[in-house]
Amino acid sequence: MTDQVIYDRGYRTYDGERTGPGGARKAVYKDGIRRVLGLGRKAREKVYPWVMISIAIGMAAIVIGVHWFIGDLAQSLSEGVPTYGELFDLYSWIGLLFIAFAAPWLLIPDRTRGVLSVYFSRPLTVDGYLSSKVAAFATVVGGIYLIPQLVLHLGLGLISDDGFLTYMGDNIDVLWKVPVITLSFVAMHGALAFLLSAVINRPGVASAAFLGVLIPGRFIAAQISEASFPGSRWTSLLAFDHLPRIIRDDLFRDTVTYPAEAVGFDGWTAAAVIAVAVVVSAIIVRARYRRLA
Amino acid sequence: MGQDNVVEIRGLTHDYGEVVALRELDLEVPPGVTGLVGANGAGKTTMLRLLLGLLHPTAGEMTVMGHDPQTEPLAVRAKLGYMPEGNCLPKDQTAADFVSYTAQLAGIPAREARRRSSETLFLVGLEEERFRFLGDFSTGMQQRVKLAQAIVHDPDLLLLDEPASGLDPAGRAQMLQLIRRLGEFDINVIVSSHVLTDIEDTCSWVVMLDAGDLLRSGPLQGFEKRGTVQVEVVAEATRLAERLTNRGLTVTVDGMRLVVGPGDQGVEQAILEDSAAVDAGLIRMVRGSASLEDLFLQPSEEAGP
Repeated sequence: MTDQVIYDRGYRTYDGERTGPGGARKAVYKDGIRRVLGLGRKAREKVYPWVMISIAIGMAAIVIGVHWFIGDLAQSLSEGVPTYGELFDLYSWIGLLFIAFAAPWLLIPDRTRGVLSVYFSRPLTVDGYLSSKVAAFATVVGGIYLIPQLVLHLGLGLISDDGFLTYMGDNIDVLWKVPVITLSFVAMHGALAFLLSAVINRPGVASAAFLGVLIPGRFIAAQISEASFPGSRWTSLLAFDHLPRIIRDDLFRDTVTYPAEAVGFDGWTAAAVIAVAVVVSAIIVRARYRRLA
Repeated sequence: MGQDNVVEIRGLTHDYGEVVALRELDLEVPPGVTGLVGANGAGKTTMLRLLLGLLHPTAGEMTVMGHDPQTEPLAVRAKLGYMPEGNCLPKDQTAADFVSYTAQLAGIPAREARRRSSETLFLVGLEEERFRFLGDFSTGMQQRVKLAQAIVHDPDLLLLDEPASGLDPAGRAQMLQLIRRLGEFDINVIVSSHVLTDIEDTCSWVVMLDAGDLLRSGPLQGFEKRGTVQVEVVAEATRLAERLTNRGLTVTVDGMRLVVGPGDQGVEQAILEDSAAVDAGLIRMVRGSASLEDLFLQPSEEAGP
């Protein structure tokens, strides 16, 4: 038996680098991403986000496979294989369901479990906290939209009969159109999801409220906008879920028509309404958290 | 205001509308372990939140570690550690992850934060449990995690709000021992409690609040010196009591035994002189220390240091 001693290491002071408020914001950002993806959490908290991510990337792989199987890109596009613009119809549903989960989990547990009292005792402001949460949200949700599209774009380039570089050159506009449309989806859905998550204290209820506003709202706003009373056409803009799709239609010149488009609103109007929604949401969420802090 | 004291407060008032939480406090808190004592609703938590810059005072000014929490809240919070009274732990994170995260929130780089997280959890006795999820922790373990997150970033001043709240006697004793140990490591601590014995066991300085007013502030030793003196005489106990009472001292007589005071060291001299004067035959004279509770319950003009 050897002689072994357990030393009490006591308390060690810290004289190293301190990154200040910037480091605090970065920590909130990293923790936000980890929370949304379930990293460092129990297995059951990983299931939902990673199933959604798998579906999103899986769908891109399937579309590439269809193109590969058909072999003629131009012909396949004309025979109903989804285009970049049409793929947003699919990804927006995945994004919608992901956001319904992600935003409440980003905001509500910190508030209801009292963790904010610890966070705001550090060199972290309310604005720093919220902006880091928004950045984490935008990173993950933006990734849900963009990464499968990137996989699709590269995949179609690799299997193109014209060669990779020619395909990339012919579709150069995709590189800015897809991010712009993604931004409009993330901004519109995110603004509503953050607003609801800031005022509702149960993640499940906030998720249901988010979906409850967006999905029935599409049909209700469409019905009202068709009624004949002064200003009824403006109610078509309350179909918030349609607004990013109108921008998508403008950019990709697809044939899908929404009530707001039918009454004369274009992508610029939709962008303006999204911007107003973001500003209103930011003001309310900030006011709510300043009271809490 | 100077920078020798960890906290300096002048004319501090804070109200919540009609309710005045703190009323015109003047206070200086020296380095060391300080107890902030008062009944529930006395204004302890309000004071801690004012020190953190999370609340803005209605009137008055203060400095914490040389900074004004109203104008430099981030500078103040960079130097503070705070352990709230209520729940403040995310149940879905491990202790190691959470404490590491709070270290990063204080500006410590990620790798060093992870290292300090392990060390701090070791210090509070959770080295074996650090990779368990906080939702699976007992109340005592949660309190230790709360303490760990408050000290992980090496703060200059630690604010502990009812740290022993909800603990059983054994857990309470362990928590108080941890707080005493922090004092040994030269960490300045302000610990609020409504349990006076916790403060007696832990602190070198005490601040007493009562319904928003400052009752007393001073070294705990000074309070103890103002304890009562127990006296036993052979005879003339009543006459001795009369003479001591005439000096303005409080005296209780039980046969040939008297309890005199509380008062400072002049009490013993008075007893010696008066017992000789009435020929009482002094058998025994012992000073007992007054408990903090005794002092808290006395009117301030009688017992203030």
